Amino acid sequence: MEFDDKVPIYYQIKTAIYDQIISGQLAPGDKLPAIRQLAVSMTVNVNTVQRALSEMITEGVIISRRGRGNFVTDNAQVVEQLKQQLITSYLKQLYDRLHRLNISDEQMIAELTVYIERQGDSNGNDIED
Amino acid sequence: MATTLKIEQLNYRKNLKKILTDVSLSLSGNKIVGLLGENGAGKTTLMRLIAGLAKNARGTVTINGDSNLANRKSLISYSDPLGGIATNKRISDVKQFYSRVYPDFDEQKYTQMASFLKLDESQRLSALSKGTREKLVISLTLARQTSVYLLDEPFSGIDSMSRKKIINSIIQWKPADSLMLISDHYVSEIAPILDEIVIIKDDKVAVHKAADEIREESGQSIEDYYESLYGEADIND
Repeated sequence: MEFDDKVPIYYQIKTAIYDQIISGQLAPGDKLPAIRQLAVSMTVNVNTVQRALSEMITEGVIISRRGRGNFVTDNAQVVEQLKQQLITSYLKQLYDRLHRLNISDEQMIAELTVYIERQGDSNGNDIED
Repeated sequence: MATTLKIEQLNYRKNLKKILTDVSLSLSGNKIVGLLGENGAGKTTLMRLIAGLAKNARGTVTINGDSNLANRKSLISYSDPLGGIATNKRISDVKQFYSRVYPDFDEQKYTQMASFLKLDESQRLSALSKGTREKLVISLTLARQTSVYLLDEPFSGIDSMSRKKIINSIIQWKPADSLMLISDHYVSEIAPILDEIVIIKDDKVAVHKAADEIREESGQSIEDYYESLYGEADIND
């Protein structure tokens, strides 16, 4: 995994695992790989993985079962909440940046609509290719 | 039990030149600590003093409260550059030598690492590339089961593929409850695996901080942070 060294590594590990949960790569109830295995696959320190995991456990997204390992919660509500949080934070970033450029709310919506339509076109073409 | 390495008021001179002045440092837990500093800053000297290989320093070094040199040596695995071994020896000879000298040498662990790093047992030391030689040094160092590992510049002059493999073996084979100190003057590639960094500058410890704390507080990469520390000095000079 490539890291941005300006951002705390534990935070990037957390984000990467949350992304996998929201995108469905990790399903509710799935068992996470062992800590050392996660560390090796991400090329990070075991302690840093441990820190990311304990935060995810505190946030209720990962459930630790003693002697059995760490699992993705099977509480759909928690995952849905996480998804909403992430969507809101990405939208906030986008909104703040465009707002700083003095782009009006109406124009933002219009631009986003056009952009999504174009994306849809190119995605469609990709499938046909 | 978590390991604690404590250095108190360490002073070291060589030919009247101050190499280390009043160095105090306390490292504990199962961490990987980066020892950073320019060439000649005293990183190797500090490691050799911790390992008990350099002598005549003032100050104390203790591991888990014990300052006895023989006890300390048995708790430390230092990445010896194999300078004392004849270059016509084969890798298998060197391994046998380690196995005989160190009771804590784990042959099985060595074999796993050697096969992961693709070391050819029949090769002679004189035929090894710099990268392969370093892979051998790392395998020998990590095959010992100790509380403290000291890796002195394991990445200098090594291609990036070998570097990645070595970093990978460190993550895989560092015993869970051990403390590891890695020195380097080039930070970016090992930054993600470091818990803490110690920067040696002007023969003193200039910084000792958690890596993620630096990122969180300064918004800088470890490399930029480290360089800015040296940059300021240049302006003042």
